[in-house]
Amino acid sequence: MLKWTWKSVFSQRGTLIGSVLGIACTFILVIFFDAVWRGESEQVVSYPAHMKPDVWVMQSGVGNMHMAMSFVWDWKADKIAKLPGVKQVTPILYLNSIVTSEQNQIFAFIVGLLPDNKRAGPWKLSAGRHIENPLETVIPDVLAKISNLNIADKIHIADKLFTIVGMSSGTYSSANPVLFVPFSDLEDLLASTGTYSYLLVDADEGTRPEVLVQRIRDEVDKVNVLTHEEFINNDYSMAIQMGVEIIVIMTIICSVLAALIVGFTSYSLVIRRRRELAIIKALGVRSINILTSVILQAIIVTSIGFGIAVFFALFILPYTTLLQPQLTLSLSLSSLTHIGMIAFIVAVLGALLPAWHVSRMEAASAYHV
Amino acid sequence: MSIIKASNLTKSFGHDHTAIKAVDNVSISIQAAEIILIMGPSGSGKTTLLSLLGGLLTPSQGNIEIDGVNITALKETALPAIRALKIGFIFQSFNLLDALSVEDNILFPARLRPGGINKARSRASKLIEQLGLQKRSKALPQSLSGGEKQRVAIARALINEPKVILADEPTGNLDSQTGQDVMMLLHDIAHEQGCSVVVVTHDPRIEDIADRILWLEDGKLSDRKHDQHKWCRDPVCGMRIDEWTAEYTLQYSGIKYSFCSQKCLDKFNDHPGQYLSNP
Repeated sequence: MLKWTWKSVFSQRGTLIGSVLGIACTFILVIFFDAVWRGESEQVVSYPAHMKPDVWVMQSGVGNMHMAMSFVWDWKADKIAKLPGVKQVTPILYLNSIVTSEQNQIFAFIVGLLPDNKRAGPWKLSAGRHIENPLETVIPDVLAKISNLNIADKIHIADKLFTIVGMSSGTYSSANPVLFVPFSDLEDLLASTGTYSYLLVDADEGTRPEVLVQRIRDEVDKVNVLTHEEFINNDYSMAIQMGVEIIVIMTIICSVLAALIVGFTSYSLVIRRRRELAIIKALGVRSINILTSVILQAIIVTSIGFGIAVFFALFILPYTTLLQPQLTLSLSLSSLTHIGMIAFIVAVLGALLPAWHVSRMEAASAYHV
Repeated sequence: MSIIKASNLTKSFGHDHTAIKAVDNVSISIQAAEIILIMGPSGSGKTTLLSLLGGLLTPSQGNIEIDGVNITALKETALPAIRALKIGFIFQSFNLLDALSVEDNILFPARLRPGGINKARSRASKLIEQLGLQKRSKALPQSLSGGEKQRVAIARALINEPKVILADEPTGNLDSQTGQDVMMLLHDIAHEQGCSVVVVTHDPRIEDIADRILWLEDGKLSDRKHDQHKWCRDPVCGMRIDEWTAEYTLQYSGIKYSFCSQKCLDKFNDHPGQYLSNP
């Protein structure tokens, strides 16, 4: 029975190739969208994730960075800096704004840095240098590539014209590319003085972040104080809700489509073998063995399709970022395993209905096929 | 000794006023090594009766005993084992498994027999030799001729040494000579191996090898004398056909023609003039 199960899958090569390619294409699409979703999810919080202070301090009522506005008086930063257990306080000014170049307009996060503030600045430059003078900016290298911008080109942030002096790596996501400008220029744009947006607080060695959070809350009024983990979680949830939702919807649609294609392929495989299934039933094969055989065939075909999709995902998909640099793909073994498990469940479910029909079919129908 | 004993067998399809009795109160007893022909017009219930005798259909009423086992009293789950071990099936359209070689097709029912595969291999080799399939044992069904396919089907039916062979139109898709060969094979199987053979057919050539001919009409069975025929000739191959039982018939220019097989009917349809000018 096993021999027949195996051989009959490969006997109709045209059908097999069609089914396998259909399944493979669907899974490539699912894996692609999953990788985009994961990549974008990771990238959307890349700035706070790379800064990684022990504690974040912001205006009371504000709990994240994505699309938020926060003001904290500068004297509060001085007060926090003097608290026991505080190693360093790094203030930044922050604005969500539209960046305009000759080619296009793009929504971005603008981070204002005090002079010599390397702690909260770009962590890796792929070209140029850090900002040193007024009206200079460091932009994400991917943004430069897709907007055809180079060092020394000019861009508008709100009504101010900035000169690009550097390009940073890892600071681009389609939802929120991060640009760095001098603190004073952003202060002008916001028309605010004596305030910061966020304080990045590093704790002394041996001081637990939770203890420091409580200490700041006790000593400083009208601020929200969060550990890095809490802040990142808030920011991630907000970013997913606002920016990545469309990718989530597309991934879900694609997964449902994949389920339907795999299910339909399983179904049509069984229907095409109806004649032979009736014969083997007449010859004395038990219904349970026919059911097992049909499910096994569906699993074999789905496995081959999934294998091709995984090969494509591992060796070819990464090159898509060369053509589309704004894509951030994140492939992981766990997500592939997850998709694989879903594939097998769908294949089995897809085969169950026709297999059930066949197992209930009168063996006498072998005379009429 | 009766190998098959069916009593008061009835099979109805449909319900209430739409119910049709395909087999109506049939009783039949078939001895070992006996060749029984079941003949009758199309739609008379021949295949239904064969399906009932083979445990492929459950009767609406009546009992069937095969080799002493009352299969109508068995649960549905026990029937596959009876079919695999006690009955050999031969179908008109051969019904070989396309993915398997000749040898594997023959061995397929043996794999359903617990621990029987090693013993079956030597039997399969013997059957392949007996049926002249030595050179084709590794071939796939699609590369076989109709006669070869039917010989493979016969070998498959015999592999588990069944008590009964049930054959539905075994010569229906074969030309005259190959049909003759298949008939002789069935004859030898019955007489040399003591196997009961039940054949449903329209082919009057098989009558020569039959021990008994049963006539089924409107689901009812009756004995039939050998000489009750209305003979005519197949206009394509010239074979003698019983017009009363012919399955393949055609009205052409107001005249009814009967054919031995679908193949001859198709040939006639393609060029009727050719066959009518040379009757």
